[in-house]
Amino acid sequence: MRELAALFRRFLRHKWTLLAGFACIPLASLGDVWITRLIGQALDRLRTGSDSDFLLGLVGLLLGVSALRGTFRFLQRWWLVCVSRWVEVRLKQDLFDKLVSLPTSFHVRTRSGDLVSRLTSDVENVRMFLGPGLMYVAGALVMVPSSLGYLMLLDWTVALWMVVPLVCMGAGMWWMSARLERHSLAVQETLAEIGHRAQESFAGTRVVKGYSREEQQARRFDQSSRRNLHHQIELARARGITHAITYTSKDLTLLPILLVGGAAMIDRSLPAGELFVFIDLTAKVFWPIIALGWMVGVYPRSVVSARRIQELLATPREIDEPAQPIELGEVQGRIELRDVTFTYPGARTPTLSNIDLAVAPASVLGIVGPTGAGKTTLLNLLARIFDARGEVLLDGVDVRRLRLSTLRGALGYVPQDSFLFSDTWRNNVAFGAERELDDAEIDELARRACMAGELERFPKGRDQRIGERGVTLSGGQRQRTAIARALARDPRILVLDDALSAVDTETESQLVRNLKSASHGRTVILAAHRLSTVRHADQIIVLDEGRIVQRGTHAQLLAREGWYAQTWKRQQVQAELAGL
Amino acid sequence: MSKPDPKAERPRVWEDDDAPEEFVAGKVWDVRLALRLAREARGHWKLFAGTFGVLAVLFALELAGPWILREAIDGPVMAAVAERAANPNAPASPERLRELWLWAAAYLGCATLTAGFRYLEVAHLGRTGQTVIADLRTKVFRHIQRLELAWFDQRPTGSLVTRVTSDIENLNEMFTSGLVTLGFDCLRIAVLLVVLFVLNAKLALVVTLLMPLLVGVSIVFRGGARNAHREVRGRLSRLNGYLQEVLSGVRVVQVFRRERRVSERFASLLDRYLDANVRTILLFALFFPALDLVVNGIQAATVWAGGVDIASGALQVGLFFQFWLYVNKLLDPVRELGERYNILQSAFASSERIFQVLDTEPAIVSPPPERARRAAPRAGHVRFENVSFEYLSGTPVLRDVSFEIPSGATIAVVGATGAGKSTLVNLLLRFYEPTRGRITIDGVDLREFDLAALRSQFGLVLQEDFLFAGTVRENLVMERAEVSAASLQLALDASRASEVIARLEGGLDAPVAERGATLSTGERQLLAIARALAGEPHFVVLDEATASVDSETEQAIEEAKENLLQGRSALVIAHRLSTVRRADGILVMHRGELRESGTHEELLRRGGIYARLFTLQFEHADSAAS
Repeated sequence: MRELAALFRRFLRHKWTLLAGFACIPLASLGDVWITRLIGQALDRLRTGSDSDFLLGLVGLLLGVSALRGTFRFLQRWWLVCVSRWVEVRLKQDLFDKLVSLPTSFHVRTRSGDLVSRLTSDVENVRMFLGPGLMYVAGALVMVPSSLGYLMLLDWTVALWMVVPLVCMGAGMWWMSARLERHSLAVQETLAEIGHRAQESFAGTRVVKGYSREEQQARRFDQSSRRNLHHQIELARARGITHAITYTSKDLTLLPILLVGGAAMIDRSLPAGELFVFIDLTAKVFWPIIALGWMVGVYPRSVVSARRIQELLATPREIDEPAQPIELGEVQGRIELRDVTFTYPGARTPTLSNIDLAVAPASVLGIVGPTGAGKTTLLNLLARIFDARGEVLLDGVDVRRLRLSTLRGALGYVPQDSFLFSDTWRNNVAFGAERELDDAEIDELARRACMAGELERFPKGRDQRIGERGVTLSGGQRQRTAIARALARDPRILVLDDALSAVDTETESQLVRNLKSASHGRTVILAAHRLSTVRHADQIIVLDEGRIVQRGTHAQLLAREGWYAQTWKRQQVQAELAGL
Repeated sequence: MSKPDPKAERPRVWEDDDAPEEFVAGKVWDVRLALRLAREARGHWKLFAGTFGVLAVLFALELAGPWILREAIDGPVMAAVAERAANPNAPASPERLRELWLWAAAYLGCATLTAGFRYLEVAHLGRTGQTVIADLRTKVFRHIQRLELAWFDQRPTGSLVTRVTSDIENLNEMFTSGLVTLGFDCLRIAVLLVVLFVLNAKLALVVTLLMPLLVGVSIVFRGGARNAHREVRGRLSRLNGYLQEVLSGVRVVQVFRRERRVSERFASLLDRYLDANVRTILLFALFFPALDLVVNGIQAATVWAGGVDIASGALQVGLFFQFWLYVNKLLDPVRELGERYNILQSAFASSERIFQVLDTEPAIVSPPPERARRAAPRAGHVRFENVSFEYLSGTPVLRDVSFEIPSGATIAVVGATGAGKSTLVNLLLRFYEPTRGRITIDGVDLREFDLAALRSQFGLVLQEDFLFAGTVRENLVMERAEVSAASLQLALDASRASEVIARLEGGLDAPVAERGATLSTGERQLLAIARALAGEPHFVVLDEATASVDSETEQAIEEAKENLLQGRSALVIAHRLSTVRRADGILVMHRGELRESGTHEELLRRGGIYARLFTLQFEHADSAAS
């Protein structure tokens, strides 16, 4: 409830539109009641005799009132639903901005599907409830009492008797809403189960076929499907009951009209026209009451959604900007790690232990080691994606005392998975730059990333869309595009996380040469599986289980027994085999 | 053996059948599809007949209510009113009041009965639709299962899942809202029109003449709404797609400090989404008042036309009430027509996709039952005779490969990634058919065997073996008739999987998470070997895991493998030195060709590819393990 109220405050930002919209509701309802009353009065008038002037006037009046009411209804809907959409868009934007500002550690432990659902279904649930939902409630709260009040004025006994089935209907909807919710939950769960079963069978189709288990899988699938059927039927039953309650209540409102109203007519206390008003208004309050019941049903879900949204909005940023950041001026690119130890939250053993390392400006550092040794983690610490124990220094200043934009602005980063957007090649590369890039600059970046040849072959050149709805890039092309993106920043420090693995060795050495070239030297850090990537580095460290086990230049490391020399030999053979 | 040829980066041909709805121009009414759907539902005609019965009775009851009202008002009420007009001082005759009470009782009875049928309307209709689609769902699933591996390899799993989930669910709407309700609505409209004419031809004529206006407004609006909705959906899917994309690349965004830029891009997508929404809001905000205006117009016309007759007394008040209520009942389904039309359109698009799958005939099937061989091969001598294979025509993966697996022998295959090792397995199990050449068992072509009978002769252990959600026992037995309690126990002991199981809470009945996520790699391998052993297969196909496991588990796996291979003809994709040493023969695959073959010692002495491969793959691996 509190969460919903907090989100409703966002609606209040549009208070004038909101006010105008809500103001239309009683006006439109008034029109509704008026139309019924007009026809009722006409009936009585007509029973005493007719004249065509009166009839013509009546038709004109009816259409006029209808048009007026229509205008109010239009404005009400237009303003109120628009407000709900404005709020939705603003809320989504805020949530999105929040998400991209939250540190990696948050994204690592949260499934992206869950985050997406907060921005989609949760926002929609809340919008439906606070937007159109409240509109329906307000409509019902105006229409039902005003109609009943008017009917009371006409004949309070009949009106009073009519309240009975209407109350029954409300109570019935209330009573059924829990059951409906339960069954629809079960239906959702069994549907998800069907999805999982299908996913599993199709993904494991080799095992299924290899053991000729197609029939067995089909049976298992059928069982899930039957379970779903069972709940679907239960849900249909619950819906049937709800349906029966609501419509029968509506039917039963005619009973007092018939009995009490009929008797009143006989007593001449109720003219036929007023009886008509009873019949017609009853039909008109029916939908608002149904809407009220529906709101009761969706209320719990909206509260849960509102809570999930608020929870996300309230998540604190773990990595904070320093209160008084140190300005670096021009970044030199000197990197130092002093006794750095890092343990992932929840992990028992540290991923990096006691790392000491110094990288001179404009030099190349190679980081190698077996899978899981901590290479990527080390690179992440440089970008302050995580904070570690010990000190990480850039140009002699602890990175925690720098503005994030200073630190990351100096950094060109090429991730392991060479993540790219499904956008044009140009936009993907320009993503790295701080400013707009012209064609010549894009082409230069393509050349330096050894992508110029491919770019020429793309049907649309630099403006070729890649990824979804575009051309699919090979692993090597993706990596080189990600490199071009990093180069677009003209960074002082370039960090490559095993980002040359799918590039052939010839292109690789050309690339490494291109990477180093900058006006006055750029620091390059290369993590790699393939040792040929780092062979020309000024310094190479070998990580194993989070510790630096070897360090030196390629020649020095080859001269020593150990992981590096052994792996080098192995990879040479591999290269030789590949060339056979 | 995850993908046939991972490094070759052969372009995968995704079918464009998962394009968002916005790109699918669905037909509104397709007779061929409708007939076919009706055929699919034929088995459940009783349910449909029941639904129609319920709807018919309900319709009759709905008509009865206003009729009773009229009878009561025009009968006793008006009579009493007339009597009192004649004699104002006399009390209302008890006769008339009793009559009124009787009609009220009749109405109550009618309403009670209606309640029951209203319940049935929803409950039975739901049951009908769901029962039909539950059957159809299993049918589609079963059909997909029969399709060959090549078909699976060409499609993302997600799109296949969609066939048996959301596409099928759409069909529920088709059967209930579409075929049944729409059909009945048409009937209802026709009957109501007839009734209205019987009640009062003049008023009915007025209503009928104005109805096209209502239908017109509804159709014009729905057309616009459909386009607007499609636009909203399209833009929403762009928006959500971008959200998903940014979330998966959030690290890149943050390291490049591009939070503001992605935020601006998101904002522009939101803007476009809002634009489309505002158009929809405008459309809906206009539609309902417009519809009301037309309805009020019809009502005004009714009063106008009826007014004269009421004044002259030719039209009785009760009859007018009845007419009025019937007109309301008539207008409801007319209003809904547009909505139903939309449902139909989306359902037709889904059924089109479903039938596309059902119409795909499996390419690899058993020969006709009377000619299929079912018996187990006696000796189990496997021959590859000049086998060539292409996944995509023009890019051969295997070239003219010939070798034999003598009865009871273990043949190890080695080679670099992409050499064609996995393809040999795919062909031997008849997941794929050779492009040229043939494979025989005891001289009989694989294609002559009954497919299930053939595959049940094999024990298959994959590199990343697939475990299904369920219990350990279910995963090991997989409901195979040939697996008995005794053979399962033997298999568990021989594979040392019993040790794994002993560690699990619940033992054999311990739950396994989807894809065996709760088990370690080594444990999964042991279970996979146990699964193969439990079937007491004639042949073994084993793709050794490359992932390293702790030495104790490694020891267990070694032992399990030995028991598995013992006395069986086996094809092993080898990654372990122990395996190649023990093998009766080694095939060296390179770029789709069989380059060398012989025993470990022979091949080492030759100093060819194998000797090089050996240093690369095995020497290091084993020295690291020791």
